[in-house]
Amino acid sequence: MSVATEEGRTESAETVRKPPRIPWWANPRVGLVILLILLIALFTALRPAFLDTKLTLVPLQSDISVYLVVGLAQLMVLSLGHMNMAVGRMAAMSAFVMGLVHDQLGAGLVVSLLLGLIAGGLLGALAGLIISRTGVNSFVVTLAMDFALVGLITILYTSVTDGVAFPTLPAGMDALRFDTFADYCLGDVCGPRIPLVVPFAVAAALLVGLLFRFSRLGREMLMTGANIKAAELSGIPTKNRIVQAHALSGLIAGLAGFLLAANNGAFSASIGGEFLLPSFLAPVLGGTLLAGGAVSVLGTVLGATLTQVIYKGLNLLQFQLDQLQLYIGLVLLAALSLDRARHVIAERRGAKL
Amino acid sequence: MKRSALLRLGTAATALLLVTAGCTKKSDNDESAATSRGPEQVKIALIPGGAHPYFQPWKDAAATAKTELKLGDVTFNETSDWDQTKQNDVIKSLAAQGYNAFGIFGVSPENINSTFEDLKRQGFAVGSLASCPAGDVDKADFCLSTDTGEAAYKATKTAIEAIGGQGTIAHLTGNKVDSNTQRRIEGVQKAVDETGGKVKVIQTVTDIDTDLQSAQKAVADLLAAKGKQINGIVTTAYNPAVAAAEGVKQTKLPIKVIAIDDDKTILDGIKDGAVAGTVVQNPVGQASVGSYALMKLSGGCTIAQPGVVIDSGSFVVTKANVDTYDQERQTKTNELKTAFDGQYLVCK
Repeated sequence: MSVATEEGRTESAETVRKPPRIPWWANPRVGLVILLILLIALFTALRPAFLDTKLTLVPLQSDISVYLVVGLAQLMVLSLGHMNMAVGRMAAMSAFVMGLVHDQLGAGLVVSLLLGLIAGGLLGALAGLIISRTGVNSFVVTLAMDFALVGLITILYTSVTDGVAFPTLPAGMDALRFDTFADYCLGDVCGPRIPLVVPFAVAAALLVGLLFRFSRLGREMLMTGANIKAAELSGIPTKNRIVQAHALSGLIAGLAGFLLAANNGAFSASIGGEFLLPSFLAPVLGGTLLAGGAVSVLGTVLGATLTQVIYKGLNLLQFQLDQLQLYIGLVLLAALSLDRARHVIAERRGAKL
Repeated sequence: MKRSALLRLGTAATALLLVTAGCTKKSDNDESAATSRGPEQVKIALIPGGAHPYFQPWKDAAATAKTELKLGDVTFNETSDWDQTKQNDVIKSLAAQGYNAFGIFGVSPENINSTFEDLKRQGFAVGSLASCPAGDVDKADFCLSTDTGEAAYKATKTAIEAIGGQGTIAHLTGNKVDSNTQRRIEGVQKAVDETGGKVKVIQTVTDIDTDLQSAQKAVADLLAAKGKQINGIVTTAYNPAVAAAEGVKQTKLPIKVIAIDDDKTILDGIKDGAVAGTVVQNPVGQASVGSYALMKLSGGCTIAQPGVVIDSGSFVVTKANVDTYDQERQTKTNELKTAFDGQYLVCK
């Protein structure tokens, strides 16, 4: 699942010469798993409440679900070596459309969700179109889009609703927020204590993983990210791939917006306001290169889990605001250094091939 | 290799799914009901929306409440960072640590009802402090807050009086996408409408309560662009109030500033005449009376009218009463406590 540019070769080439593999201990995912186990052990030793199912583990899973999906939205464009600075605002616009469709047209959960996702996808496609047609850096385009959407969202919410959120939610959203599978029983046996939002995130991760692993589209996106000129010369329609990757990023951001709305209990203008930093943190911690051409979905799952576990643990230890920010900042710094180190290893490996 | 990658992903997903150890029995799923707790078993958490000078008096009030009411613990946690998701996290973490009564300033008045509902389901006493949920429904046991519309109305009336009953005023306030800000804007408009056109709102500047610097910049821009046309400035948020008091003093424009809260800059401004007046709120009362009510609710009392909205008071302070207003506030706090005992709470 990690460096995908190596997948392009034919089977016969693979039998002729295998590339030198990174030793298992240098795999960032292994490091994350070890770190995760150590942190969980540490937090549990310091605060046994860390293993409290209702108050810690269930909400923790809901939070991980949201930030995993946010990370996947960013991962889609990181595969190109691009950035989506508007990931939060695309989520907010999607959530707005979901709220609007339900509130004004009385649509149910599924229809609202689908239309919201389409809106997110269209916004992403627009960003991709501007980037691919003008050649302007994705950072600049999506940053500009973010600014424009901040204003637009405020205007839309104040014009359509009384305040800043839709007063009603589609039927079923409350269940997504409050219920776990333990609330659904067959006879005397009920499901595990897993919130209903978790399957959404797992499905998104699996689909993105399958896309990059097995589909031609996903591989061509990675090729575009690894070396756009080489990709073009190989006959890959790179401009289309850029639009498609951004569209998928917008669509997944929309899903993150939906999950956050389910967790927080309202389609509101503030959705997505805090998505930007975590959107990078999860994939980069997990080993996705900022430079493009290599993604890791499993790493993103671990990255999102690690950041939420740290956050939960520090919360339980009742750190003060400044300390909390200090430690989160340190984690980010370490993550970026790790990314740089991995980048160097990947380059050296590339040189050997 | 392809298969192993899928396998790894599948294993991770399964591990995540099974993190809470498989299936459960129906009997494990009962919701916890509210139980009666003695004061020493009550652990109260006071949770503002984030770090803000307004909430600093809550810290001392929390410590005082703990000793005076002989409570198990009272903690003050300002790490929500103005994000509802983070605040929900902070609340759940505190609940996991054994805190069983919550006084909360919800970051997002639109979403906070579902947080309250969540806590009530688990049998905790919940008070909405310093801000009420948006709309007409309050899922907390009670809401003890400044009536923001009323406070803005009072401030504007004072400003209109200070500018002689006619002219133009500017309104500086906080986050536009917040129902409290909307109530403030309505309060200002109501007072202006009552003048029958003699007073006009020249500009409403929102979203400048995040920090002092952005408020100072907005005030400097406003004064540079329209300083000479403005007769009065009404501020209904903390940072703009401090910034407006300083800005008008520096530019020496003949603008009457009506501030909010009782920061030292503002009180000094009132004493030396740079600020015409201020509307102070009652944060100490919210924290101390709120803690008292939460203790009573945890002890088995119930609220007569669940979700009741109670005004914690707002007081106009001018040069005339700048040295004595705190007594008025203390009186209101005592009245609130009495009202909880006699009117809002039902104790067996």
